[in-house]
Amino acid sequence: MNGVLHRVGSSILSLSREVGGLAVLLGQITVRLFPPHLDGKETWRSFYKVGVKSTPIVVTTALLTGAIMAVQSSAFIEEWGAYGLLGWGAGFSIMREVGPILIGLMFSGRVGANNTAELGTMKVTEQIDALRTLAIDPISYLIMPRFVAMIVMLVLLTVIGDLFALVGAMIFADLMIDVSPQVFWHSLLEMTYLIDFLVGVIKAGFFGFAIALVSCHYGLKVTGGAVGVGRAVNNCVVASAIGIFFLDYLLTPLIDSAWAALFIRYG
Amino acid sequence: MIRVAHVTKYRGRQAVLKDVSFEIPAGASLALIGPGGCGKTLLTKIIGGLVRPDQGEVWVDGQEITRLSEIELTRVRFKIGMLFQNYALFDFMDVGDNIAFPLRQEGKLDEEEIASQVEAILKEVDLPGIERLQVNELSGGMKRRVTFARAVIRRPPILVYDDPTAGLDPVTSSKIFILLDRLQRQGATTSITISHDLVGLRSICTKWAMLVAGEVVFFGTSEEIERSPTKVVRQFWMGESDEV
Ligand SMILES: Nc1ncnc2c1ncn2[C@@H]1O[C@H](COP(=O)(O)OP(=O)(O)OP(=O)(O)O)[C@@H](O)[C@H]1O
Ligand SMILES: [Mg+2]
Repeated sequence: MNGVLHRVGSSILSLSREVGGLAVLLGQITVRLFPPHLDGKETWRSFYKVGVKSTPIVVTTALLTGAIMAVQSSAFIEEWGAYGLLGWGAGFSIMREVGPILIGLMFSGRVGANNTAELGTMKVTEQIDALRTLAIDPISYLIMPRFVAMIVMLVLLTVIGDLFALVGAMIFADLMIDVSPQVFWHSLLEMTYLIDFLVGVIKAGFFGFAIALVSCHYGLKVTGGAVGVGRAVNNCVVASAIGIFFLDYLLTPLIDSAWAALFIRYG
Repeated sequence: MIRVAHVTKYRGRQAVLKDVSFEIPAGASLALIGPGGCGKTLLTKIIGGLVRPDQGEVWVDGQEITRLSEIELTRVRFKIGMLFQNYALFDFMDVGDNIAFPLRQEGKLDEEEIASQVEAILKEVDLPGIERLQVNELSGGMKRRVTFARAVIRRPPILVYDDPTAGLDPVTSSKIFILLDRLQRQGATTSITISHDLVGLRSICTKWAMLVAGEVVFFGTSEEIERSPTKVVRQFWMGESDEV
């Protein structure tokens, strides 16, 4: 009994430590937003690494995911003769959930993990200390550019991913069950709304923010050499995934009701 | 110029620095010696404001630094150049950018001027024309000299060298010590040098501090250390050990 209590207690403690650490990092970042200052070279490097390098894998997974969605639903579509619903079904689920979640998780595995490993290695090889001795603030110089790049790029990649997933679904709908691209797009454009797209994109922005915060936090607090870096990467991927699902549950109804409120007011 | 007063630092419950106190006057060069693991590197990190001590004060150029915020510390750090024992070179930049980095961040010089300064310092450390090599293409000794170049390029008034000649051949070592000496005279810098090369240290240092297990066992001039009656100091100085 004591052992169980002890375990529960210590996991609560370590969870609060992590949350506290994230809050501290967020505070440090917020302080440095006034006035905002970004190192041009470092920001450019981050954008390139985070965005350009992730595009091929995002495009490939999106295409295949879209395709598999068409393949999976083809039996039902044929059975019910619901050819005119495929575009809507694919569009609705891809833009609202599958796109942002899938690309968010991939992003955390690729970019987030890489970021933790890179910052962690810089920490254990004293490169972060070297920056500090050169009177350079590591948060402004290293963390801010990564933050901006991750948020902006996850949003862009989600838009790109949505598009390619739809293209994948469209191609396979045509090949498998003869739903022509015209029928597909017509159903998509008639029956999905701007909000379906916006929900996904706004969530992607928050996912990017969460992945950036988590991966920088775990990277900066690495101790203990290569083993420590490995552990941090592991923690980063797990915590990012939890963060993504948590935010997904929290944000989807929030954004929808905000949109509905706006609609009633101005629409 | 640098005053360390009652600095104590714990690792867990164990004190790794115990009540360390000394003062280095402006323009003096201190040799910091002692057996491996006695806390030399840690002490220099505390002086550079990278690690906060658990007790005690550190005064740099008339300012107490242990209670300053990271942002306030920035101004103090412009005065200090540090050469790291583990190189700490930026591996996402090439050699030239590593050395140019402190100058670029300072933002006083144009690119042309920076490039010529980088070229000149590389020549001084006997590595001419390696600007475009990547850090992972360098040998240990080359890295050592590149970190040296990066530490001194801004000509800060205070320099901390943590083992500047470790892993270097005797000829290059003595060149580095000559370079240290020249910088010291030209810039009237205050310096702390950690090294196990006592002969090299003697050629440049005027003051000596010896740490054993986190405690200062000796602080004084070169003449005083040569004649020190303390056993650990004498043994360390002569390179003797207990077992014969
Ligand atoms: N930030 C820190 N906080 C607490 N203890 C530390 C810290 N950094 C290092 N130490 C401890 O201080 C002790 C002295 O380490 P240090 O690296 O200063 O030795 P050193 O004298 O430089 O040895 P060497 O000659 O081998 O380089 C070690 O036991 C180390 O674990
Ligand atoms: Mg050391």
